[in-house]
Amino acid sequence: MRGLLQKTLRELWVSTLLIGLGLAGANMLLTFLIPKVQMQLGDVFERLPFAQTMMSALLGTEVGKELTARAMASVLWVHPIVLALVWTQAINLSTRVPAGEVDRGTIDFLLGLPVSRRLVYACEVVMLLATGVLVIAMGFAGHRAMAPVMPADMRPDLQSSLIIMANFYCLYLAVGGVGFLVSALCSHRGRAVAIVLALVLGSFLLNFAAQLWPPAQRVAFLGVLEYYRPALVLQSGEVPWSDMLVLLAIAAFALIAGGEVMARRSLCTT
Amino acid sequence: MAMLRTTNLTRRYGARLGVDRVNLAVDAGEVFGFLGPNGAGKTTTIRLLMGFLRPHAGQAEIGGLDCWRHSARLKRDVGYLPGDLRLYPWLTLTTATSIVSQTRGMNISARASELAERFELEPTLPVRKMSRGTRQKLGLVLAMAHRPRLLILDEPTSGLDPLMQSRLADLVREAAAAGAAVFFSSHTLSEVESLCDRVAIVRRGKVIVDESLDALRHRAPRVVELQYGDEHAASAAVLPDFLQVVERRGAVCRCELEGTTPPLVTWAYQQPLVDIRIGRPDLESVFHRLYHVGEEGT
Repeated sequence: MRGLLQKTLRELWVSTLLIGLGLAGANMLLTFLIPKVQMQLGDVFERLPFAQTMMSALLGTEVGKELTARAMASVLWVHPIVLALVWTQAINLSTRVPAGEVDRGTIDFLLGLPVSRRLVYACEVVMLLATGVLVIAMGFAGHRAMAPVMPADMRPDLQSSLIIMANFYCLYLAVGGVGFLVSALCSHRGRAVAIVLALVLGSFLLNFAAQLWPPAQRVAFLGVLEYYRPALVLQSGEVPWSDMLVLLAIAAFALIAGGEVMARRSLCTT
Repeated sequence: MAMLRTTNLTRRYGARLGVDRVNLAVDAGEVFGFLGPNGAGKTTTIRLLMGFLRPHAGQAEIGGLDCWRHSARLKRDVGYLPGDLRLYPWLTLTTATSIVSQTRGMNISARASELAERFELEPTLPVRKMSRGTRQKLGLVLAMAHRPRLLILDEPTSGLDPLMQSRLADLVREAAAAGAAVFFSSHTLSEVESLCDRVAIVRRGKVIVDESLDALRHRAPRVVELQYGDEHAASAAVLPDFLQVVERRGAVCRCELEGTTPPLVTWAYQQPLVDIRIGRPDLESVFHRLYHVGEEGT
């Protein structure tokens, strides 16, 4: 297993580091900017009522005219840049095996080694788990580094922040798990990436539309973002067990199914 | 017991047949040539042996283990060079040796260095900077460095210059002499002829012949050139049944000899010949004939 991990790490460390640094930078910037935006938000809502709806859509929960400072801080964890970076990491990693290896023609070399397909798959899943912790931790560190500039009433407490991080990690695992399943079914990485990207973008849009269009609310449960609502965590301070369990169940099902597909299908360079 | 055995091995690609009821057996210490044109089913057979593809019927075994079910286990004793070798662009001999050593659970660095020296391979050159031939050499080093009991080489000489081809041939002979079975796939007759003990010819997914090279050579016709005193004598000559005329040009009559040479010598003694030249058994024409027969049969 060490050999495979060494190979995977060699291929992933640069992109993981860049995404982690990007997330840290984005979180620092957002942590710095959010208090300034919040001060003017009341006026913006007065002048542009639509902005309030947009904000609700972004946070995935209803916000009143007076958006609480704490709820506003949750924008940090649902901002499209933040989501895009974490999803990029999940999709990049989850579509490497087998789709990526088949696509670039290296699967014959990899499977020519005395390793089972399940072991190759397990190594990639271990990397998904480990790099997810790293990337999200770097993002969190970026936020905490800039947190002192936030007003005290706006600054999320450590416990709530960690709960959100855990929820965020579950979301990352769900996207990564689906990525592994799609990758196991594909022989072209581009196709696998496109499918997973379409699914997460669809989920994002569904979550957005559910706040604006009542019929979309009925199917909102199909999107993964329905199970990731940092604003509610910051407001209640409670652990969203059911949301996290749903995301973990999606991840577990998709990872197991992906592993089974990979172990049973014919695999070689096309 | 055969090191490698296939029994009615069949694999389809949708409606197209990849290989059809292939039966092969390769013993330890044997260099087995697997010959066929492009698209004949050589690589499909190898991928079935390596457990990449699942057979639709039949079975492939290496060392008594089923190639699909025990793929990981049996590959401890197998060295494999893919036909279309593609490696990670960042890979060097040094990093590859480290990864393969860890994966195989044995230190292959000493043997890998020795092989690299014989192939004149730079240890720190990354794959992205390698020529096709150099990549092929790296693939060969990685396939052979753990001293496998079975070597599966899919068109191993492609991209190699004649000097390296000759070094590879030496290594293959050494491996066989040390008791390894070698499954050598190629579409080039000459390299199979110079290296292999036995050869199977595959055409459109079917094995149409599986014989020792000696047996094939016995079946192979020899080219015989009969030189007469003049053109008239050459055209008037009546040839026996075991000589088939290929062409008559001036005083020379070019024929194919079927069978052994003693009857030819006896017959030639009574002829007004100026000279006679007997060539080596022409395997090329046997293969062409076999392909032709196969084609008629389909």
